[in-house]
Amino acid sequence: MKRFLTLTKAIFLMHIRNGAVLFWNFAFPLLLMFIYGVIMSQYMDYMTPGVIVLNIFSFGLVGSSTMMLEMREKGILRRLQATPLPASQLVAAYLLVSLFTGLLQSALVWTVGVVLYKVPVTALGIAIGLPMILAGMLTFLAMGQIIGGIAPKAGVATGAGMTVYFTLMFISDMVFPLEMLPDWLQKVVPYLPTYLVSQLVRSALLDSALDPKWLTYLLMLAVYGGLSALIAARLFRWEPKA
Amino acid sequence: MTQPIIQIENISAGYGRGARQVQALRGISLEVQPGEIFGLLGPNGAGKTTLLSCLEGLHQPAGGRLRVGGVDVAHQPLAAKRKLGVQLQRTALLDDLTVHELIEVYAALYEIYLAPSQIKDLLARFDLAQLANTLSRRLSGGQQQRLSLALAIANNPEIVLLDEPTSALDPHARRAVWDIVRHLHNDGRTIVITTHAMEEAEALCGRVAIIDHGQAIACDTPARLVADLKANPVLKAAVELPLDQVQPLPGVQSARYTGQYLEIETAQPQATMAALHDLAARLGRSIGDVMVRQPNLEDVFLKLTGRVLGASRD
Repeated sequence: MKRFLTLTKAIFLMHIRNGAVLFWNFAFPLLLMFIYGVIMSQYMDYMTPGVIVLNIFSFGLVGSSTMMLEMREKGILRRLQATPLPASQLVAAYLLVSLFTGLLQSALVWTVGVVLYKVPVTALGIAIGLPMILAGMLTFLAMGQIIGGIAPKAGVATGAGMTVYFTLMFISDMVFPLEMLPDWLQKVVPYLPTYLVSQLVRSALLDSALDPKWLTYLLMLAVYGGLSALIAARLFRWEPKA
Repeated sequence: MTQPIIQIENISAGYGRGARQVQALRGISLEVQPGEIFGLLGPNGAGKTTLLSCLEGLHQPAGGRLRVGGVDVAHQPLAAKRKLGVQLQRTALLDDLTVHELIEVYAALYEIYLAPSQIKDLLARFDLAQLANTLSRRLSGGQQQRLSLALAIANNPEIVLLDEPTSALDPHARRAVWDIVRHLHNDGRTIVITTHAMEEAEALCGRVAIIDHGQAIACDTPARLVADLKANPVLKAAVELPLDQVQPLPGVQSARYTGQYLEIETAQPQATMAALHDLAARLGRSIGDVMVRQPNLEDVFLKLTGRVLGASRD
């Protein structure tokens, strides 16, 4: 247990000392909030949960997996493999730090929404929203590790992740309401993990309530997350691709 | 005879599959005794790193048996890893951590928890005390290498495996690493070191295994390997003399020209040298720079393989 904590602390220190991690997790989300605050100030109730989901999605899909890939590319994972550390402990420590970073980022965005844009907030909303954000993060982190496992290089993973990210960002009811999409797309989108997380987080934070279909949505997320985790575990490698 | 601390029995290993498979080790067997500095000497691509990777549990051998400190590597991989201190060829560390934090973390990975004072002592031994709070990615090449050596003993291992620890270093940093290796040896640790530099093997190693094409083609002390050659010193002189007049000089075994240098293999370098001077004076020629080269591990490798050690396999 002490080994796990020491490792977790080390990975946390690596996160907060990494300029790219700091920018994408903390500066960029705030920038988004300020931009939306200027151009669509009357929609900030709708936008704030959207920005939260958007950012945990980008962090899970791109940020977190890229950092793991870089550790593999540089040979850091191989050096760790020469120690008696089990892979499961490394992944668990990494996951814990990623979850914590994602929560911190979400709290920051929400605080800015409440303070600057008068987005409503209740204790119940936070109590319901927190587990929904966590469920979303777990799913996105597992999806990101699949990209990390397949991509030969960190650059490729970032490219692939960004492609998926931008596509889903525009169609998953995060920054554009579903009604704006063509009919055929409106039929597909409700099955996307990003859409599910958006609905769950938005109902929690705006209405302080569970989405009417919350159980179905969480189950669907569990399937996405579980399958992704299984595939990611099969793809896990210590050494870089030759 | 004591029990060997490392036993390598008939190990074969390869990379890739099918037609593209590359055989890196072909049934290599070696034994390392406790307290030795054991060198694996061979050209790039000979299989030295693959052999260490197998010992470190980073590469799965296709066949054979490995034991480190009495533990079977295949059956108890984690227990085997605890016996070893490891330095890999490419230094890759958690680079956003400080030197002090890295020592703490790497020891903890072995479930060894060092007090700050212990970490300080360790860093002092590797001349890193002033850099304790520096991020590892800010270190110079020589400093990074010293840090990776310090990390290799953070878990206080009996056996230390060093993969070409000096290959990218300047001569000064290289000597510093040699001193460190000797210190680790004086602690009573067993050290296995790979190198393709024969002067490094001669300077450090009690015994050397010469590795080529995935096999150990010789294994002994550097002195005995050279003595077994029964080779003569070579006298090299920048002078132009007819070979037929050089051949009969005292001690000369053979003579030939390589470029502008006359190369004489001789059993009596002093006598040959004197006679060479007389001959040159008689013919009115002047002798430029002269050197005598004693036979060394380089010659052993050339004799055994027909190739030069410095040249890469491919």
